[in-house]
Parts: sequence; C-alpha cells; structure tokens
Amino acid sequence: MIEVKYFGAIAEKTNCSDEKIVAVDLSLRQLLDELEQKHQLNELSFSVAVNQKIVQDIEKYELKDQDIVALLPPFAGG
Amino acid sequence: METTRYNRQIILPEVGTNGQEKLHNAKVLIIGVGGLGSAVLPYLAAAGIGEIGIMDSDTIDVTNLQRQVIYNTNSVGKSKVLEAKERILALNPSIKINAIPEKLDAKNAISLFDYYDIMVDATDNLQTKYLINDACCTTNKPFVYGSIYKFEGQISVFNYKNGPTYRCLFPEETNQVINCNDAGVLGISVGIIGMFQANEVLKMVLGIGDLLSGKLLVYNMLNNDQQKFEFSKKHAIAIDKLSFENKYLKSKNSGIEILASLALEQVNNPEVIFLDVRNWDEYPKIIIENSIQVPLDNLEKELNQLDSNAVFFVFCQSGIRSKMAVEILRKNRFKKVQSIVGGAKMLDKLLYNETVLVS
Repeated sequence: MIEVKYFGAIAEKTNCSDEKIVAVDLSLRQLLDELEQKHQLNELSFSVAVNQKIVQDIEKYELKDQDIVALLPPFAGG
Repeated sequence: METTRYNRQIILPEVGTNGQEKLHNAKVLIIGVGGLGSAVLPYLAAAGIGEIGIMDSDTIDVTNLQRQVIYNTNSVGKSKVLEAKERILALNPSIKINAIPEKLDAKNAISLFDYYDIMVDATDNLQTKYLINDACCTTNKPFVYGSIYKFEGQISVFNYKNGPTYRCLFPEETNQVINCNDAGVLGISVGIIGMFQANEVLKMVLGIGDLLSGKLLVYNMLNNDQQKFEFSKKHAIAIDKLSFENKYLKSKNSGIEILASLALEQVNNPEVIFLDVRNWDEYPKIIIENSIQVPLDNLEKELNQLDSNAVFFVFCQSGIRSKMAVEILRKNRFKKVQSIVGGAKMLDKLLYNETVLVS
C-alpha cells in the first residue's frame, strides 16, 4: 500500500487530498505515470517527495510498501 | 538605540540587548508590499529591524484592502511603498524605511541585493521568484520564501549560507501557476504565511531556533495540517555571476543572441566553448583556444559529441545559421547556448582590428 498526498492545484485536480494505491514492486516513475493519466496532471508542474524528502532523481526511485508520496506544486500567490 | 520600546522582547534571554543590537543593524529587503508584504513589514518594523527596503511599483486598489491591511480606504490610488512607509514610520520612527517604487528586474536586483542582508519574497508570480533566487545566488544572500494557493501556504528559506535554493526545490521554470488575484484568497491566509516569513527573518538575524533552510513548510489553513519536506542542494543548477548575466542581461531577443564584444570577454573562461557552424572552407578563420567547428549540416549528427552542460557561443559568417544552430541545440536540451551577433565577421574585427566601434 502506498499513500499519495496532493497539494495546491493538484489536490483540486484530483478532487481529494490523499488516496491509497495498492501496488507491489512499483517504481516512482510508474506510479507518477499512472497518476498523471488518471488525474490528467500533464500540464501541471510539481516536485515529488517520498516520506517527506524531495526526490532528486525520480527515474531511479523504487517505492516500497507503506511509502508516503507527496505531489508538491509551486504556489505563486502573495 | 532606544530600548524601552523593545523591553518585552529584550527581556527574553534569546534576544537580550545583544539581540536587539543585531536587529538594529540588520538590513532587510521586502519585495512586494501586497498581502504577504503587508503582514511581514509591520512586525519587522515593530521588532526594530534597523533598515527595511520595500519594493513595489503598484498603486493601492480597493480589492487589495481585504488582505493588505496596512493600507486605508483613503489610500486607494496611491503608491503602495510610499503609503506603507508613512504608516510604518508612524508605528516605529526609530528605524529607516527605504521606499522603492520599482519593479524588481535583473538590472536593479544585483545592486539592491548587495546592499541588504536578507530578502523577503512577498511577490505573487513565479518569474520574479526565479529572479530573486538567481540574484540571491549571485550575491550570496539568503531569501525567505512565502507563497499561497487558496487555503494552503508554503514557506522556506533559500540560499542560506550556500544552502539549497528555490531551483533545488522547483527546478522546472513554469508560469502556469495562478496567483491570489486569479485564484482568490482570504486575508487571514496571507497574514499567517507572512507571519511565518517574519519569524524566519527574526530567527535568522538573532541566530536562534532552526531555520527552514532545506525544508519546505506547507501549511493548510482549513485543517491546520502542517508538514515539512526536506530537500538538498543540487550542484548542477548553481547560479553564478556569469550565468546570471547571460540569462538576464547580456542578451537581447529573449536570450538567443549575445553581442560579440560580450562573448569575447569570456574568451579565457574554460567553461565557455565557441562553436563555429560554418563550413570548413569559409573565411576568415577565427582562432580561439576554446573553439570547435561543426558545420550546421552536421550539427544534429554530432550532438552527442558536445557537452550539453557547457556554455556555447555559436557563430557563423553573419549570424543567421548560428541562430538556427541555437534552436537545434536548445531543442536538444542544451540550455546555455547563444548566437553571436555579427558572427565571424564581427569577431574577426574585434580580435584583429581594435579600432572598430561596436554599438
């Protein structure tokens, strides 16, 4: 089980602030591809954190059970 | 320095007269006196930050007043920074307020940032946030970031003692994110996030607590959830004086071109490669140590032999093929590529005939 948390405009697009994904042996890239397709996130820009740490190299990251993934877009309002 | 005014904070052991002295000697620049700036400014001023620059080219609009609470109804139409200065000096006349009724741009950023110790990003667009970041990296100054999306806010401290920067957190430059004017916001939300920013500024000056350097704080105003995300420094995207100037200043035509004279200033910089895209039989030959020749027709085939992280100044005979080469390179993820205005002819003149004048 992987928990995904959404913030800002992404949470608006997904219509929820978090969801749980049942998956085994999933890479972060695969998860993101799936989420991008499911929620049509393609035009949104965001950074990704796993267990509260921003991931620098998304392509090489393998997820494990109980990981918490956060999709963090930049905010601009002030 | 007046101390009675600050008695209630001086009696905190974490502040004391020493701390008050530090606050008095600090120079802080607040960029934007809108929602966030209106929250940060009065608290920094009241705490006795000795010199505060406030920068904004806007005038006050009636729709600002629900969140920009330092202004009055009869301030509508007046300059934000002049009005803010008057209000803040009434609160604390013992400090210095520099009202700067200008928009931050690449030309004024460096000298301003050189002067101040800490920048506060209270702006409402991503483009300016990247500019603040890059100018802070160039001048080696920290900035306190705050930003809002509806009921959520982000706060962080970037480039503190050479720490992680805004680009380490958000490397992709995008402009698709909407601001408060378009998305809507409660005044409380900018107030809360502005308070977090003011808190980081005071802690930084006083040297107390833990700063949000390398950490992004995300605060949700609807459910009071507060989360911190850690990020580290990416050395590959460091900005220095050369890259700042190349990105923002030494070019026209949105950065595609560079003047030959300015390109030649970098002739001894080992990170710069002069790329000649003329055919082998074209004259004049340009003899520069850090140069390579790849005729335009061969460029796409030979891309893999070039380092996409290097700075390339591309030239042809007069400047037409080199622009095509820049387009090809940029499409292939070469970021630091510019075409030399006037091409080989201009380089030849500048290198071998010093009497030529360049406009």
